[in-house]
Amino acid sequence: MTFFSPDPTLSKEQAALKLAKRLGDKALIEALEQMLLIRNFELRGEAAYQQGLVGGFYHSYTGQEAIQTACVAAFGQNHWYTGFYRCHALALLLGATPEELMAELYGKATGNAKGRGGSMHLYADRLLGGFAIVGGHLPIACGAAFSLKYQGKKDQLSLCFMGEGAVAQGAFHESLNLAALWDLPVVFIIENNQWGMGTHVSRSICTETIADRQAESYGMKSYLVNGMDWFESYLAFEHIYREVLETSRPVLVECVCERFRGHSISDPGLYRTKEALEAAKAKDPILSLKSDLIAQKLIDEKQFKELDKKQREVMISAMEFAQKSPAPATTSLEEDVYAP
Amino acid sequence: MPPKMQLIEMREALRQAMDEEMTQDESVFILGEEVAEYNGAYKVTKGLLDKYGPKRVLDTPISELAFAGLGVGAAMTGLRPIVEFMSFNFSFVGCDQIISNAAKMFYMSGGRFSVPIVFRGPNGAAAQVSSQHSHCVEALYSNIPGLIIVAPSNPYDAKGLLKSSIRNNNPILFLESELDYGLKEEIPVDEYLVPIGKAHVVHEGNALTLITHSHMVNVCKEIVADFAKQGIGIELIDLRTIKPLDLSTILKSVQKTNRCVIVEEGHWFGGIAAEIGFEINEFCFDFLDAPIARVSQKETPMPYAKNLEAETLPNSRRIKETILKTLE
Repeated sequence: MTFFSPDPTLSKEQAALKLAKRLGDKALIEALEQMLLIRNFELRGEAAYQQGLVGGFYHSYTGQEAIQTACVAAFGQNHWYTGFYRCHALALLLGATPEELMAELYGKATGNAKGRGGSMHLYADRLLGGFAIVGGHLPIACGAAFSLKYQGKKDQLSLCFMGEGAVAQGAFHESLNLAALWDLPVVFIIENNQWGMGTHVSRSICTETIADRQAESYGMKSYLVNGMDWFESYLAFEHIYREVLETSRPVLVECVCERFRGHSISDPGLYRTKEALEAAKAKDPILSLKSDLIAQKLIDEKQFKELDKKQREVMISAMEFAQKSPAPATTSLEEDVYAP
Repeated sequence: MPPKMQLIEMREALRQAMDEEMTQDESVFILGEEVAEYNGAYKVTKGLLDKYGPKRVLDTPISELAFAGLGVGAAMTGLRPIVEFMSFNFSFVGCDQIISNAAKMFYMSGGRFSVPIVFRGPNGAAAQVSSQHSHCVEALYSNIPGLIIVAPSNPYDAKGLLKSSIRNNNPILFLESELDYGLKEEIPVDEYLVPIGKAHVVHEGNALTLITHSHMVNVCKEIVADFAKQGIGIELIDLRTIKPLDLSTILKSVQKTNRCVIVEEGHWFGGIAAEIGFEINEFCFDFLDAPIARVSQKETPMPYAKNLEAETLPNSRRIKETILKTLE
């Protein structure tokens, strides 16, 4: 599997070093902090779930942090984003606070969606939502791109994340066809973590690589990205951003990655061997970014621990906020079924 | 001075509604199969491409899921789409977008994203188009909180209600009847609106309340006229909006007449008639002098043969028989 690199003449390490120099210390440490923010949110959220404080489904983003962190860093927040049910990270990256998100998981009135959406339906000013019907949000992302084009906002794009399981849905194919047919500026990003719940990708998608084969049939460009590496993901997204701004054409991106947890919290992941999981965890994107930054002498082990501790404290305080927040008033039950 | 009037068909009334709203609001646009270059399968969008151009009047591929969802996404991000389904039966291919996304978005997002969108097109039976083009969708979709369902029976209401629908900030299913597109009526030339959620008493009477909507209003009008000739006053209510239901108009009438028949083009089981009947039972049971009765489409897919089609639909004979029985 050959991953995309905007400059194939450079080794992976050379490319990362060059990018690090260009972005500067602050941006890199911020990336690490964001990934730690996400990791700690998931750790605490799962703990709260185990304590019975969070209900419903809980899909952890642990292991996949590099992808959305790099994507939002490369594109910026000022676009329409559409996500799926594994959406805690995207909401955090697009400006939702840990407090409002944790309160949403706790089903509180102060929650991100007033306690109506829960873990799978989180929002931000530019996040149209976590959507919980697999593939059902791809047409929505097309609609957001359509609006941008209609309104003449040429500096904004529509970004749509999905799992590889969505590729088997009709909505995927209809959306790609329409986006390509109408030149809609949508960046479709498949986060291929190789498991649709407990079904391996080889048992759900008929081709071994996805993006290249699918994109070809819709006359779109495709990119295969190492989703376990922040630098590689950032370089790819930066390249794609420039390209789509210029062409206003949809592209299909496949980020190959691993999730470290089950499909959801109730999934013990028995379909995966211990060895396979350990091998996946050896590619931890946070540890990998950390060792790169240590190698570049931007941080040391102690500072990393401090960064991690800081995010842990943010989450503990978010949990306290959620805990203290009131449940939604039952009198509010029937509010907002219709917009005024 | 009396208002200036124009004699127009239902399809022209619908076209005028869209035309006027598109002129007033840049964010209104139309998409659907054959709406642009073909001028609409039923010519409802005739001339709009010429007037507004391909940016605002868009032919889509035969891809209901994608274009219904694209409309929802566009509505969430600042536009006011009108999505035409060539038949509402085709909405089933894209109904996940209507049900899971459009209907639930405002509530589920904590009031953050509203979905101002109109899905419109012909609903129910036309003439001998068999099972897959004849289903009435209102009972299915009215089970979904968050949707508004409008079903006019005449050009005046069609124009005023469509304009109100385009201005509304919620997902609206605007159900038309293919059999009524050619229906002519004098309507005002000047702009007017008809409010959503208000039923219309088409004919007043004291003997019995007859409740229906869409094309069946026109079938029932003739029956009511026949009964009037015999000195039996039937109060005919045209629902105009199915959801939200104008319960007060219904209850007021039933409290007056004490008898009620509900006519529905769609099926018996779990139908609109079942819902209205139950509401009457809940709120004015003590006023009833006879059991509430209904005439609905029989529990068969729509057959092609003319005689079978006429028999499965609520027809004059069945409606009259039911009224007479309820009057006993």
